[in-house]
Amino acid sequence: MSIFIDKSTKVCVQGITGKEGSFWTKHMIDLGTNVVCGVTPGREGQEIEGIKVYNSMKKACDNHEIDASMLFVPPKLTKDAVMEALHSGIKKIVTIADGIPLHEMVLIRQAAKEHGAIVVGGNTSGVISPKLAMMGSFPHWIERVYKKGNIGVMTRSGSLTNEVTAMIVEAGYGVSTLIGIGGDPVPGTRFAEFLPLFEKDEETKAVVIIGELGGIMEEEAAEAIANGTFTKPLVAFLGGRTAPKGQKMGHAGAIVTGGKGSVEDKIKALNAVGALVAERPRMVGKLLEELGIPKE
Amino acid sequence: MKLYEYQAKEVFKEEGISIPNSVLIQDYDQLEDALNKVGVPCVVKSQVLSGGRGKAGLVVFTPTKELAKLEVKRLFDHELNIKNIMIEEAVNIKQEIYVAITVDPVLATGLLMVSIEGGVDIETLAVENPEKIIKEPIDLRYGLMPFQATKIAFDLGLPNEVAKELRNVILKLYKVFKKYDSELVEINPLFITTDNTIIAGDGKLMIDDNSMFRQSRFEKQEDDYKTEAEYDASLEGIPFIQFDGDIGLMCAGAGLTTTVYDLIHYEGGTIANYLEFGGPNYKKALKSMEICLKVPSKVILIVTFGTIARADVMAEGIVDAIKRLKPDRPIVTCIRGTNEQEAVKILKSAGLEPLFDTEEAVRKAVALAKGV
Repeated sequence: MSIFIDKSTKVCVQGITGKEGSFWTKHMIDLGTNVVCGVTPGREGQEIEGIKVYNSMKKACDNHEIDASMLFVPPKLTKDAVMEALHSGIKKIVTIADGIPLHEMVLIRQAAKEHGAIVVGGNTSGVISPKLAMMGSFPHWIERVYKKGNIGVMTRSGSLTNEVTAMIVEAGYGVSTLIGIGGDPVPGTRFAEFLPLFEKDEETKAVVIIGELGGIMEEEAAEAIANGTFTKPLVAFLGGRTAPKGQKMGHAGAIVTGGKGSVEDKIKALNAVGALVAERPRMVGKLLEELGIPKE
Repeated sequence: MKLYEYQAKEVFKEEGISIPNSVLIQDYDQLEDALNKVGVPCVVKSQVLSGGRGKAGLVVFTPTKELAKLEVKRLFDHELNIKNIMIEEAVNIKQEIYVAITVDPVLATGLLMVSIEGGVDIETLAVENPEKIIKEPIDLRYGLMPFQATKIAFDLGLPNEVAKELRNVILKLYKVFKKYDSELVEINPLFITTDNTIIAGDGKLMIDDNSMFRQSRFEKQEDDYKTEAEYDASLEGIPFIQFDGDIGLMCAGAGLTTTVYDLIHYEGGTIANYLEFGGPNYKKALKSMEICLKVPSKVILIVTFGTIARADVMAEGIVDAIKRLKPDRPIVTCIRGTNEQEAVKILKSAGLEPLFDTEEAVRKAVALAKGV
């Protein structure tokens, strides 16, 4: 089991003929992802990695059954591409675009909610269920990171995810599904909104959150534990404990503002509901052991 | 991008929001003229981007010309290297209000925030008296509706004519928010004068960095940066912050760089600079190292764990940068990710001793910085 994506998920790739699109489509297929078609306006009739390309989502949907759409589309065009997918009835959308304008991201999240859809990203590597399938740009062949197992992972970062996940694997665990929700201030979907899916997934025995300073998403995850929405063990690693106040540390979302978003506050909120917070990436694996999570 | 008060007020004025009379000066010699135009009492306002200017003594009310001159002299000599000072007329204030528009990431809306208790630190108010801040979500498809602004203006309990005027100011502020792709527009305090007019006492405008491609009006100037290295990094679009410690960070990935920053502190080290060359910048190792070498650090620590930002490409870039720049200080590398085995070979062939564990690399950099 896994959440969001497995081998049966029928995936369309928007922007499939681009450099990133064609490169990662190949790797998605190599991992076992069921890519059924692609879309690039003006490229209908072409094939990428044996996958048929259409001019529009409408045409793609007329010819294929599609469960999810993966966007390799530049940030300026992302709103349009997401809207096209939503209007075609797609309920799972992943966008890796880094640099989506803030007001457009607000409209994307709002539209997703109204259509009852999940948009993951932008500014993320996407979603991967190791050894099964992925939507995004993960080097799934690096086994000391992308090992299959029973830990659900959610993250706001890219490289830090590799770092922390390598430590989970080093401790003898693996990953059920890893979701990169992205580093922007307004992600399409938030940590707490994925917790019910991990709660239902029998394979997932614990969830690791890779967060950082800024925003209130880690606090929302703590709230989900407090109100009983999520009952499995949760371990967090949070970057930016020693970051200076009022200073953006890389991700646009990573800044302490309005007296909110400090790592201290997040630790307090998580500890209050019994979640554990690792001081260093390596501690994440150790805390999972301390919690008695089986290594399969 | 955060604008200066004078830039924000320029925008407000263009949209029809009243601002006090003022003159912007760059030099002490321009003060006499400015004082003649504005008159006294006046307010001397340093144009810096940091908040809390009043408490820091960077905004001062001066009842006489003599005091204004003393303050302006002091501020131009200030260690902050202040370039612009606004000499602003002192307004006869009856009441101070808080008005701001931002986005709500959870609801996926715009968010109008108004409080009858302006002038004070709104963050303190939010903690101590959250009920005194009225919040109104804005559907960004339709924009702020006049009825919403009207409702809030009247809910504050102001006299009718003032409430109507406040409604207009709020609607104009929303226009600014939209037009300038804002993360935040804020007027605090918004003055209600003794003759019941409404004037923006301050102005804050933050433009979303991801929208800067269509916001060409305001460009960053070299003067906006504390150091040459910060300016160079900004021109390249490389996230960079300079500190005054020992270890220069040249890492890839915002989250990983922040984590390395924490780990160095845990190990008792100090940071000379934060530089993040991941994402679209992963092929900029040469430029990144050039910037790091402008900072007086004792060691440069390179940590990456890239996906699209391939390890072998970054290793090649680093080796090339070392050959060309011949750094005068030790370099510690820990390069992992896509094609990492290849990366190790490339680094070793150039005589480096690549490490493979972040904590080990951090400890080595801290030891080198301490001269161990």
